Amino acid sequence: MTDDAPALVGIVVVSHSADVAAATVQLVARLANLPADGPLLVAAGGLEDGSIGTDATRIADALVAADAGAGVVILADLGSAVLAAATAIDELIEPDLARRVRISGGPLVEGTFVAAVQASAGDGLDGVVAAADAAASMNKLDGR
Amino acid sequence: MAADAEVEVRNPSGLHARPAATFVRASAAFTADVTVTNLTRDAARSASAKSVLGVMGLAVARGHRVRIAADGADADEAVTQLVALIAAGLGEEIDGE
Repeated sequence: MTDDAPALVGIVVVSHSADVAAATVQLVARLANLPADGPLLVAAGGLEDGSIGTDATRIADALVAADAGAGVVILADLGSAVLAAATAIDELIEPDLARRVRISGGPLVEGTFVAAVQASAGDGLDGVVAAADAAASMNKLDGR
Repeated sequence: MAADAEVEVRNPSGLHARPAATFVRASAAFTADVTVTNLTRDAARSASAKSVLGVMGLAVARGHRVRIAADGADADEAVTQLVALIAAGLGEEIDGE
């Protein structure tokens, strides 16, 4: 990316499992064929000691790391992953950043893939989160 | 300004995952509106070439013919470059060459 190119929307992958979050980032970077100057994808999985769970502080750190100025879309796995993400947004990051963070209801792998492609194409925050949400309706069996 | 052209998809996985991502990023570089139609499956249905969900929803497989249509200031350039990108295999090896 040249210096005058607009910032890309970043993505944070939240999972109860550090392995799942990290592997999702790795998988999507490959499936989406992301260029080196593509969007920032940051994993926020598991608890500090490596056990299963979600940690709002780890999510907050990931949001700060993923923001290049254009905002961040969060993809989360199940249940309290969304609650922890909401806590991170509401209580643990600066309000200025919180205003440009969105939580997607899309599925973890498909939503992260779609978000990464649209972010790498230069879509804005609203476009990226809408695409990630719509990944829930992707018909994987079409054409089989 | 409007332009369109047809091309056969020859890379093994068609317009899925990696090739679709590559195609969408290339399409998004143009200011023109760009659509893609899978002429082999349903010539009446088009999707934005700048939406990976839309492109993958067309279920374009190897051997299918697609139409690339663009409308906007850089429409000619968009069609020319995107057709060339598909013809070259979207970053995948083309078998039987």
